[in-house]
This record gives sequence, C-alpha cells and structure tokens, in this order.
Amino acid sequence: METQYLFFSGKGGVGKTTMACATAVREAEKGRKTLIITTDPASNLADVFEQAIGHHIAPIAGVPNLWAMEIDPDKATEEYRDRVLAPFRAAMPADVLQVLEEQFRSPCTTELASFDRFVDFMDRGDFDLIIFDTAPTGHTIRLLELPVDWSKHIAESAKGSGQTCLGPVQAIQDSKAKYDRAIALLGDPRRTRFIFVLQPEQTAIFETERSAVELRRLGIESQELIVNGFLPAEVCEQPFFKKRYEMQQRHLAEIRQRFAVPLRQMALRDTEVKGVAHLRDVGRELDGQPRVTAAATGSPETAESRLSMRQPDSGELMDLLTPRNGHGKAIFFSGKGGVGKTSVSCITAVHLARQGFKTLLLTTDPAAHIGQVLDTPVGDRPAPLPDLPTLWTAKIDARQATEEYKARILEQARGRHSEEMLLALREELESPCTEEMAAFDKFTAYADSDDYEIVVFDTAPTGHTLRLLELPFDYSHQVELLVTTTQEGGALRAETRSRFDRIIARLKDPTRSVFAFVVYPESTPVVEAHRASQDLAAAGIPTQLVVANQIIPPEQATNGYFRKRRAMQAKYLAEIERRFHVPVAMLPLMDTEIRGLAAVDRAAALLFDQTDQDRRLGAA
Amino acid sequence: MPERKVTIEIFDPPMCCASGVCGPTIDPAVLDIHEAILKLKKEHDGQVGIERYLLSQQPAKFMQQSEVIARLKAVGIPALPITLVNGRLVKERAYPSYTELQAWIAEG
Repeated sequence: METQYLFFSGKGGVGKTTMACATAVREAEKGRKTLIITTDPASNLADVFEQAIGHHIAPIAGVPNLWAMEIDPDKATEEYRDRVLAPFRAAMPADVLQVLEEQFRSPCTTELASFDRFVDFMDRGDFDLIIFDTAPTGHTIRLLELPVDWSKHIAESAKGSGQTCLGPVQAIQDSKAKYDRAIALLGDPRRTRFIFVLQPEQTAIFETERSAVELRRLGIESQELIVNGFLPAEVCEQPFFKKRYEMQQRHLAEIRQRFAVPLRQMALRDTEVKGVAHLRDVGRELDGQPRVTAAATGSPETAESRLSMRQPDSGELMDLLTPRNGHGKAIFFSGKGGVGKTSVSCITAVHLARQGFKTLLLTTDPAAHIGQVLDTPVGDRPAPLPDLPTLWTAKIDARQATEEYKARILEQARGRHSEEMLLALREELESPCTEEMAAFDKFTAYADSDDYEIVVFDTAPTGHTLRLLELPFDYSHQVELLVTTTQEGGALRAETRSRFDRIIARLKDPTRSVFAFVVYPESTPVVEAHRASQDLAAAGIPTQLVVANQIIPPEQATNGYFRKRRAMQAKYLAEIERRFHVPVAMLPLMDTEIRGLAAVDRAAALLFDQTDQDRRLGAA
Repeated sequence: MPERKVTIEIFDPPMCCASGVCGPTIDPAVLDIHEAILKLKKEHDGQVGIERYLLSQQPAKFMQQSEVIARLKAVGIPALPITLVNGRLVKERAYPSYTELQAWIAEG
C-alpha cells in the first residue's frame, strides 16, 4: 500500500489543526500507521495533543500508530546549513566561515530549508498516511508554488549562467528530481487529497474559493471541504443566536452552491477540543458517526461568568493610537488569521479617520479582506474612501510589487548596459527570492513614509508577520556584509543602511509604533499570540494592547451551552491578562458580520467605549 | 588572439545571487563586471573561459585554490573579489575592469 497524503488547508483559527488531529487519531485507531506534520511556524500541535512534540517525529501518548512532528523553520535552516557547511569547517578561516553561516540567515534560505524538509516527508515510505496540518492558505500556496518555480528556475539556469539563488546547479540537480516527484504526488488524486477547513462566514468563502482556484492552477484537483464551527440548532433558541445560526445556514447554502466538492460539517463544541479523548470524539463525527447533541452535554446550572480585567478607557485608547510629538503613528494588528484582525483594523482605521486623522489602512493579505469589510475595491496604490476621505486604503500585492521592483531595477540599468546584459538581468530577476525582496521593499516604503498621520497595518497571520518584520533586521545584516568596490556602491550601501536603521528605530519606538494582538479568548489563539508577542519582545518590540474579539454578551448566554462557552471565555480573558500585562479591549460577538461603513461605525462605538462594555459585558 | 585558451576565475564577495541582483540595493560594480564578462565572451568566442564563484554557493572552489585560501587566511573577506588568470592571482579587493581583463587575455 502506497503512502497517502492529506493536506489540511484554510485560514488560521478555523479549526484546521483540530480537524487534522482528529482525522489523524481516527485513522491511526483504524490501524493505519499515521504521521501528522505541521509546517506552520506558529504551530500548535503540542497544545492540541497536550504533549511536547518538537522538531522531530514523536509518538503520541495513548494512540498507538500515531506520530507527530512540528517543522521548525529555524531548525530546518540550521540543519540545512550544517549539512552544506560540514566539509568547510576544518579548512576555512573563521571570518570566512562566519560569512558562510550568516548567508544562511537570508530569507530565501529559510524558505528553501523549510520547503526542503517538507518535501523530504513526501519521499518516505514508512507511513500509511501522512497528514500535513499546513500553514495558513496564502503561505501554503506559496510553499506549493515553489516546487514549480524552483524546478523551472533550475532548468532555466542550467541553460544560462549555471547559477541560481539556491546554489550551483550541479549541487541541486538531486533537489530538482525531488521537487518534481513532490509535484507529481501533489497532483495525483489517488495519493493526495486537499481538505479545506472553513467557518460558515462570508470572508472564508472568498478565501477558500481563491485557494481552490490556485490549487487547480497548480494541477491539484482532489479537494474536499469541512465546514467547521456550526452553532447546533438546538441551543439557538434566543433571537441573538438564532440570527447567527440562520446566517451560518445561509453561508452553508452558498458554500454548497459554489463548491462542487465533497463537504462535511462539524458543530461547535461547548468546550475546547484538546486532548485525545476530545479528538477521538470529533474524529468519529468527521467519519460520519452521529453527533452527541450539545443540549445533552450542556450543564444548565453553570453560573453567570464575571469578566474582570484592566480595560482601557476611551481616552487611554486614543492616547495609544494617535500621533504623539508630531510623529506619525504606525499601528500593527497581529494575531492568528481568522480572529477578526481585519475587522479590528478596519474598525480602528475608520474610527481614527472619523476623528480627522489622515489614516492609511494597509493590508499585506493578498486577498485584501479589508475591501470586503469596507465594501470598497482596494488597489496597490493608496486611494481615499469616497464616503470617508480621511481614510486611505491600499494592499501590498507581492506579485505586483515584484513587477514594480523588476521594472525599477531594469530602468536603472537601462542606458548604462547593453541589451544583452538587460536580458541576462531580466532572467536573474525571475528568481523566487525577488518576490520576497519586492514585498519587503514595498513594506519599508510605507513604514518609512510620512504621508499619513496614522498607518494601520492589517498584517498577515502571525508567523508570516514576524518573518516580514524580521526582514529589516536580517537585511541590515546582509547589507553589512555587502562588499562594495566602487564609490557609487558605497553610497548606495550607506543609503540602504540608514533606511533600515530608520525603520528599525521606528518599529522599536513605542510612541511611534503600536503592536496590538487580536485574539479569541480561547486556548490556542491566546497561546499563539503570546508566543508571537514574546518573539516581538525579543526583537525589542513591546506589545501595547490586546483586543479580545467575539465576547459572548452576558444577556445572550441564556442556556447551558453558551454559559459554558462564556465561562471558557472568562477563563481565557484572565489568561490574557496574566500573560500580557497590557490593557485588554473587548469587542463583543455581533449577530451579523461587520460589512459596510455603517456596520464598522457601530462596532467602533463598542470598541472605543470600553466603559459601556463594562456594564454590557458584566465586568467587575 | 592568444595562442591557447585563457581561463579567468573571479571569486566573488558574499552576495545573495551570482549577479548580485538579489538584494535590496544593487551594487553597480556587480552589474559592470557582469557586462564586461558578457562582452568578452562574445568577442573571444570559445578562446576565453570566464567563471565566477560565490563563497556562499561554491565554497569548494575557494578551497581548491591554494592562493585564494592563502589570501583569505591572511586578509580575510576584504580580499574579495579575487581574480585569477590561468591560476595566477592578478587582482584582489576589487573587480577588474573590461580593459584590465582585455589586457590579461592579450598576454595569454
């Protein structure tokens, strides 16, 4: 029996890891030797299985036949580096070795090393089933596009200079064969299935559709859906939740109509799915076994939960988010995808723009969800909102940025160099690294700009965000290493250096940049946000605000099911307070999605008046 | 035209890609040497072999040349770029110009 592969894809926070783990437990208990792997830099397999896993294959306690591994991009890079450098350790002088090692800090190397490790698993035959709990959609797609790009790049380079960003062609012919095999496996429906996990909500539909199309473009046709997070009908007797229930059912109908692929549904549990027993229960339901109804498990006597934490008052929030000492303010919303980061960014930007601040709302999300929330098209160049001219929006489109970057480089070379040279240059610029570079270039241009009083970044999901933000540090390092041999080169180098130093200083200055995390008060999102916040702190960037989203209003928690969920939220709000030690602003669960300026304004009134929240949400 | 084939080897300083195009700024010197090589290869079709090696990608090539290793041990990274013509060190710390390369080829 050949190894089969299951890929779980979807926006972070939709329950992808839970579905992947539940499937893994179910299949392992059926007797299939199963391995579950995450390539997500903000992995939470360990949280779900309630045991340490790490960057190696570890057996899961209590489930014979099941193993797990968390691919750590940093460790993968280290392993790759050690493998490549081993022969030179004895012969090379220390400073040369140091340069060689520093070279591996380049973003392309990290990307490549992670991918390399990932492809290794598609090459092994010692498991019946390998489940990939993949990184969030955009990143996954890029990861999957890489084999196509790399092998094309390698083939083209072999004809030309014999050089690629990966290293000399001779050394990576092996890798090309390996990547080609991975591509073939990905496209073989007998071996590989892609499972999209999504919540029954509008933005998820757009995102999933986009990913499905991208996968088809890459020749991957075998796709399925799991629609997760349904409110069970039997607990939605109140109009508030009945409205949410009906909204979900409408979205489900739309999903069925838009996607002609197998579809499964999974109900929202009244507790968190953690540990093997819960996973086994979800796995049974995924496998078509009847669900134990929520009403039967809910305990109606659960007491009303009081929420208590230090909430910022309106003045404190405005002090934090508006410009100080004549400097502009950059506001970064971080957190796992799908926690409402986009909504919170839009709410904040609209509110600040309404106060008269010239505000730019910028997204690095290729799907530009801010456009869906604000009901306006979002392009690559900042444009003001017709109904709110102080608010400008734009997206950083990596592909578009790449084209601009290439054009700029070629323009600079034109006139100085021959046509032949320009052609060679154009080929060189086809490298996958260029895209990374270009997106970064764009990011720094906005981060560096003084054109707006406030810039709100609706950042990409956590791991990716950190990588993007780490880039200035990495590049300033790379630039330091650059040996220039001409006056002109020296000047360029100095200019680049000072640009990076400026951006780094700006990110680190708490009066000029605000890093805020958006979380659901649930176990995994809180753990992940905290981990990400520690990474930022290590880079010298403090977290200054947490926005807790989708708080169940106390007056709506009228049955055991929702009281249990609210009690869970109260527990994790306390956990947020304990871990972060910063003000926590709450945004209540709404009975409809936030779409259009009017809805954003209503939500802004709630987010920016936390005093009112105190009363409404029953805080002490 | 030289009697026998001339081999020129350039040992590059640390860069992301061979062309040096893979960075936030592009050093014009890197583009100039690229251009010079293209031109010379065309002019001396088959008679001149010009290779460039990158420390990060072909460290083995650096190890194979005792003269390059010796300069690296003595001076360190600032010795790069180093140019060898038929195995003889002709320039270090800067890329050769088109005229210099042309002269070395003529000498054979």
